[in-house]
Amino acid sequence: MAQILVVDDSSTVRNEVGDFLKASGLTVSFAIDGADGLVKLKADPAIKLILCDVNMPNMDGLTMSEKVRSELKNSAVNIIMLTTENSPVMKERGKAAGIKGWIVKPFKGDAVIATFKKLVGA
Amino acid sequence: MDEDAKLMSKVLVLESDPSCFDRLKVFCEKNDLSGLTVQPDNAMAVMRSNVDLGGIFLSENYDSKVRGGLLMARKIHTLRPELPIFLRRDSSPTFDGITEDERMTLSAVFTIEDIDSLRPKLDEYIFSRSYPNDLVRGIAEITVAALASQFKDLEVEVAAPYIVRDRLIYGEIFTLIPLETGWCRGYMMMQTEEIGLLGLVKGDKTHMRPDEAFDFRNLNGLLGEITNLVWGAFKNRYMAYGHQSTSASQVPLVINHLHRYISFGSDNPQLCFKYTVVDKSNPALVPLVMYQKFVFNLSWSPQDFAENQTSVEDLVSSGELDLF
Repeated sequence: MAQILVVDDSSTVRNEVGDFLKASGLTVSFAIDGADGLVKLKADPAIKLILCDVNMPNMDGLTMSEKVRSELKNSAVNIIMLTTENSPVMKERGKAAGIKGWIVKPFKGDAVIATFKKLVGA
Repeated sequence: MDEDAKLMSKVLVLESDPSCFDRLKVFCEKNDLSGLTVQPDNAMAVMRSNVDLGGIFLSENYDSKVRGGLLMARKIHTLRPELPIFLRRDSSPTFDGITEDERMTLSAVFTIEDIDSLRPKLDEYIFSRSYPNDLVRGIAEITVAALASQFKDLEVEVAAPYIVRDRLIYGEIFTLIPLETGWCRGYMMMQTEEIGLLGLVKGDKTHMRPDEAFDFRNLNGLLGEITNLVWGAFKNRYMAYGHQSTSASQVPLVINHLHRYISFGSDNPQLCFKYTVVDKSNPALVPLVMYQKFVFNLSWSPQDFAENQTSVEDLVSSGELDLF
């Protein structure tokens, strides 16, 4: 059982973010794209926070977020996008899908860890 | 309208008359050319090795052989037809006495006395594109920031950007990603050698674990993420929000691994940046050299160049959480 699911096609990002979160005392699982993210969330519905890239093969992060709400009927999990994208159009789409927030890469763990812990109830 | 960036280009100077060197040097300096000279028996090896050339200055009687330059031009043109060759003649700045086959290998002829008349030919064959200053500066800023975020406690140096005509691939790993804005369509390439990345991963200078260096796919992933960061920042700065592609045109890219050659289907020049990532506290660590090339092969309208204007409300620094 994990508190946070990190969804990114880049192993570099999964390593960087995952190592930081674990060092901060959080439990982490990983997915390599949006489709894999849905599978991992379905298998572990106790996940409280998803950190998700936008541009990924097979299924992008915004589509995954929409399906988390519509297909998995999971309205509780917090979703934060971690992406190079900064387009207002994409952010609006994310808001419509009920995402909680947006981080433009590169990841700076110290700036966000307090909020992450609050979101997972740690 | 943004000013155009002043860009250099590297040219190989194959000249065997020492009395011409000074004049050639002055001409190169005046015309934003960086001249590289080699010994005659090294010339073809240099041709094959990739030094990001924009063109070649060649003397007609190169290597002190009568018409040696014309023979050399044929060899160079066979190997690297994309490189313009400017032939210096002793007699006159015309193609008199040069066969049709030989003429096809040359872009222009000149004499040392009238070398200044070559300028329009440089514009035609090397500097055929101009690039907005803000674009060139912005690319360097974006990329230095992306590299700095991926390498711990290292310095990133960027050389002055330049124009390239050759088609050789540097190193063993490269990424390729499409770029599209309202004023350009093409590709960005990032090229590097595996050994540089390997050293930095093993030396714990990246966000990867040092033991991950054994799998080359992890190195691929690192270069991939660098490319992703640059691409994303490029889009955020230069692609109008809400831009929809109106063109479905594409051309095949051709990569020939045997010859380390890549073609984008056109003769357009490439805008090239060279970055070096160094550990000043550890001179033993092999610096990472990375070449970044922009090939706007599908469309190029610098007169429409624009940067996104960000409102104060939208200003959230990268890495910070924008909570909705």
